[in-house]
Amino acid sequence: MSIITISSLTKTYDGGGIEVKALRGIDLAIGRGEFTAIAGPSGSGKTTLLNLIGGLDHPTGGALTVAGSDLNRMTPRELSDIRLNKIGFIFQAYNLIPVLSALENVEYILLLQGVAKGERRDRSRRILEEVGLGREINRLPKELSGGQQQRVAVARAIVSEPELVLADEPTANLDQKTGSSLLDLMHDLNHQKNITFLFSTHDAMVMDYAERIIRLSDGMIISDDKKKSGRESSVKKVKKKK
Amino acid sequence: MNPRKEAPVEVMLAWRNVWKNKRRTVLTLLTIMVGCAMIIFSRAFQDGGYGKMIEDSIASNTTHIQIHEKGFWENQSIDYAFKPDSELMAFLRTSPAVSACTRRIHAAGLVSYGKNTYGALIQAVEPDTEKKVSNLHTTIQKGGRYLVADDGKNIIMGAALAKNLKARVGDTVAVISQGFDGSIAAANVTIVGIFKSRNPRYDQSTIMMSFNQAAETFTMMDYISSIAVRLKQTEDMEKVRDQLRRLTGSKPLEVMGWDELLPELIQHIVMDDLFAKIFYIVLLLIIAFGVLNTIQMSVFERRRELGIMMAIGTRPSQIVAMVLFESVYISFIGSLLGILLGSAISYYFTVFPIDFSEYQKELAEFNQITTILPTKLTVKNVITTAFFTFCIGVLFSIAPARRASRLKPLDAIRQL
Repeated sequence: MSIITISSLTKTYDGGGIEVKALRGIDLAIGRGEFTAIAGPSGSGKTTLLNLIGGLDHPTGGALTVAGSDLNRMTPRELSDIRLNKIGFIFQAYNLIPVLSALENVEYILLLQGVAKGERRDRSRRILEEVGLGREINRLPKELSGGQQQRVAVARAIVSEPELVLADEPTANLDQKTGSSLLDLMHDLNHQKNITFLFSTHDAMVMDYAERIIRLSDGMIISDDKKKSGRESSVKKVKKKK
Repeated sequence: MNPRKEAPVEVMLAWRNVWKNKRRTVLTLLTIMVGCAMIIFSRAFQDGGYGKMIEDSIASNTTHIQIHEKGFWENQSIDYAFKPDSELMAFLRTSPAVSACTRRIHAAGLVSYGKNTYGALIQAVEPDTEKKVSNLHTTIQKGGRYLVADDGKNIIMGAALAKNLKARVGDTVAVISQGFDGSIAAANVTIVGIFKSRNPRYDQSTIMMSFNQAAETFTMMDYISSIAVRLKQTEDMEKVRDQLRRLTGSKPLEVMGWDELLPELIQHIVMDDLFAKIFYIVLLLIIAFGVLNTIQMSVFERRRELGIMMAIGTRPSQIVAMVLFESVYISFIGSLLGILLGSAISYYFTVFPIDFSEYQKELAEFNQITTILPTKLTVKNVITTAFFTFCIGVLFSIAPARRASRLKPLDAIRQL
């Protein structure tokens, strides 16, 4: 069963009077529990596609259903609610709330969802321990390294156990070791909690981890390949490099 | 048992955001504090000054309430006189709000000494009770004395009038006026005292003589010009005036309160208050733009952060609430500090009033007899000033808050 269904999706931007076609009729279905990467060079439309799936942008044409909801027909408030309850976001530049500690950043999502304080704290603490930040929970984002901040961002994205996590080049600002451990973590979460992960990336390591790679070029899908398990091969490669 | 309700997340975030840029917040707080304190102090200065001016005028001769025959106040003539009935006098004697009352006779005439003749207002008083309603007896200059009940043909006169006449204590002057019965009233009277009140109008034109002598000189036949009433508390004036108006309803009498007897003072206060209000509006606008600038800058700097918050599911209404709470905190703390500073300054000048005695002459030109102005801090002043300061701060944050909530998450996230 698909969590994302896309048909004939187009997106056109107005680039200073010139029409820029970012997506040119995408047809795609992503099943629940998939660990998928959308790859392609810069300007291929991968971030645009991710933003449309996340309800952060509106398509110019076509149909887009996420977790059973037709995003084209939703009001801004309904889109807020679906982003809060069904989608977790991991951005390239961490994007944590600077005045909140690591724990509070993770807790924030649960707070918005109305989860009771005790449960909220427990879940946030647990998830931060899972991402290896059990000792840094009270630190502000500025007191954490890039890798640690991205781990907090991952924890924030998955703490409410959303149906889908969208990650826009999550390893772009991380060194290989940190990126690899983060991908391990996400892969484990994907398997343990059956959370669907969809990445946009041009990082070969992410593509190694991915079980399905959709390649975009010039706003169109040029290939859609499935692998059995991306993790093992990637782990081997990382070990070899070490 | 119900779990304790948590404060909304917007409240907590707003508090932290307020202190994220401490320097800017402190500067904004200072703007609000100083603005609010200035308004509180200015209003305390106004309230104290107006109160003192009113009390000084009441005490000098006006008293709280005067009762005349209808038409007297407009014409200021001895022709308008009345016989106070026992019911009216009994009320004035027994009313708990009344401190004292006295009868007066007023006449306009000429006063001559040597070759000098000037117009004068003759006020006849019952010295014993007059002392209880006015304080003119305290302004008698050295070498003279105030009137006594059986003073006969003795008078006291204003210092400026005595100076114009070139008359001194002990000199006999001629007074010519019109009697109540239309006859000519003339008498040679001796000056026993010269008063120098802070009201130049009295000093230039007033002669005072004893009530009994005036009743005879002006052939009053038990008629009087006015009853002057002093109350225990100025605040009771309207209540007592209403009671007296009901009591004298069917009679051709006018019952006037100090506010009607001192129209120039009221006019001065109204004008002064109007200009003060314009000043307060300017101050409030300065505060408002201070808060607006802070919130606007804060939102501008955090566009990316706000975009992220919206992207991960924060509703636009929560963004509005968060920004408004920031302004609530700043405005509330600023107003609170303003209350403390404004109250402290006002209290200081209540204890150590501002003394304008040096400018007495200049103030007298504007009929201003009060030279020592204490501040009067009232709860109403503090609460309304803080309320307006707070409200205008929050009100001016609505626009940036709404603008923040209308950010498109994606555009905001792309901001550097």
